[in-house]
Amino acid sequence: MASSEQANGILATFEYLDDFRQAMKNTRKNDVFSGHVSYAPTSYHELMDDAEEIYGRSGVRWFTTVGGITGLLTGFGMPLAMDWDWPLVVGGKTPGIYSLPAYVVFGFELLVLFGALATIAGMLFMGRLPNTKARVRHKRLTDDRFAIFVPGAALDGEQAKLLKSWGAEEVLRSK
Amino acid sequence: MSEEVAWKRSISDVNSGILVGIDKPAPTYYLALAFSVLCLVIGAAAWINQIYHGMGMAGLNSPVYWGVYITNFVFWVGIGHAGTLISAILFLFRAKWRNSINRSAEAMTVFAVITAGLFPLIHVGRIWFAAYWMLPLPNTNGLWINFRSPLIWDVFAISTYLTVSLLFWYMGLVPDLASIRDRVKGFRRLVYGFMSFGWTGSIRQWHHYETGYALLAALATPLVLSVHSIVSWDFSMAMQPGWHTTIFPPYFVAGAILSGCAMVYSLVVPLRKMFQLEEFIRKEHLEALIKLTLLTSTIVSYSYGVEFFIAWYSGNHYEWVIFLKRATGPYAFYFWTMVACNCVFPVAFWSKKIRTHIPTAFVITVLVNVGMWFERYNIIVSSLVEDFIPGSWGHYQPSWTEIAITLGSFGWFFTWLLIFCRFFPLVSMSELKLIMPKPLRGKAKKGEAHG
Repeated sequence: MASSEQANGILATFEYLDDFRQAMKNTRKNDVFSGHVSYAPTSYHELMDDAEEIYGRSGVRWFTTVGGITGLLTGFGMPLAMDWDWPLVVGGKTPGIYSLPAYVVFGFELLVLFGALATIAGMLFMGRLPNTKARVRHKRLTDDRFAIFVPGAALDGEQAKLLKSWGAEEVLRSK
Repeated sequence: MSEEVAWKRSISDVNSGILVGIDKPAPTYYLALAFSVLCLVIGAAAWINQIYHGMGMAGLNSPVYWGVYITNFVFWVGIGHAGTLISAILFLFRAKWRNSINRSAEAMTVFAVITAGLFPLIHVGRIWFAAYWMLPLPNTNGLWINFRSPLIWDVFAISTYLTVSLLFWYMGLVPDLASIRDRVKGFRRLVYGFMSFGWTGSIRQWHHYETGYALLAALATPLVLSVHSIVSWDFSMAMQPGWHTTIFPPYFVAGAILSGCAMVYSLVVPLRKMFQLEEFIRKEHLEALIKLTLLTSTIVSYSYGVEFFIAWYSGNHYEWVIFLKRATGPYAFYFWTMVACNCVFPVAFWSKKIRTHIPTAFVITVLVNVGMWFERYNIIVSSLVEDFIPGSWGHYQPSWTEIAITLGSFGWFFTWLLIFCRFFPLVSMSELKLIMPKPLRGKAKKGEAHG
């Protein structure tokens, strides 16, 4: 079976945020909307609260954590390893005394760098991007309209009627 | 702030209103681009000439080994500060007004840091050795780079800052690139589709995107503060009177934010005209930026005072003499220009009338940038001309090559910025919608129309 991103079905567009949120809640409770995908032109905080209810807390934070810790260890490890490879004896002190305060800079910078790179990787991975098979279901979804796509549904089906009754502006076939 | 903005447009006007300017910029855009390219060509010719004839083309001498090139480096890094400050710190503080100017500030940051990154290359002269000198590579005897040197700290700080700023900027662009993809046809659609990674705006994508954006902002916030602190350590870690002072990190950070905010204002005012963005970058947003400029100007003025106080109160004779000579010696012109531009002129911003009068505020912000360039020149040159050995005291005058390369750096910066504006939205469309009235059925019933 094709994924929801590629399947045929119906697309209900909404002009108003409050209608769309209510429709999102209703579709989650109703089995006939199985596999539906919701779209929004921007990230209103109400929608992000709803998204957290649906998907739970984003796993991107774990990518950031792992990236940050890797960066921190790399930042301290790199100069320490190079010190170990060629000890610089300063003031006749025993080799093996390392300038840890100076290495805080590398630890911090690489923590941020690796953390940021991992965050982007996490955001892309969790958001299933890059997506070469993504379809533009409606030109206004990245402009000013909200929408719910229901895979496998028909224009004269139950889902279309329900979406209309919940305030959909129009319901279209989406290939 | 944005609750106070009387928006005349709804979210349905955002994409069309902002993207129309990209297709049809004002004729002044092409004039500005041509002038920038001219400056760039002059600078490039001077640099090629310097590479061919050697560093003798620059006015650098003993004891002034750092001059205009390092001044430019610090200046451009400072300019690059405001973008991530506006994007990251103001995002975390939920300052809504940043949503209308964050894209232009981020673009400014990226191009300013790239410009700054050119100057260590220009300054070392033999650029073919640059990677060998700047990266942690061992020499022929297997000896590694000195990790205790603030110069290598700076390489790591600037590289990280550029990378994170680029990521932040591009991440913000992705939903807007998808918006452009959905409006254009043919080859352009293919290109914008490729650049937007196949973004559809599904709630799942927004959910992870928003979390990633907030985490990136949290990572970038200490980074913003650290970068110019580390740049200041290039100076303050040296046992040089005028440089070796503990106030340098916060003083440099405040100065960087001041110059960055002033530069954002100086850029946004003409660009909003060229790309017909007055309805989206509102007067109220510009005023908020001016308030931030005023705040940082007062911090910088305080820092100048404290710097003098520390020089006197420390009882260090060499330190105090350097400071006295800055104000009264042969470089006094630079010092007093700096004070006038960074401390005196911005006082006018206490008046709401001047804050909201765009032409006057524009002139003052340009003067602030002049002042901030002079500040870096003043710090570097006035400290270096007189070291601990009076016999080696010298004088420094920038050569024509240095002046031409400085001009070229402005050309380089503006050329990239103007090219960016021609192909990408100067205002973050998806974020701007967040601060505009929400499309609610309740409001529509009351008569607030929505597209």
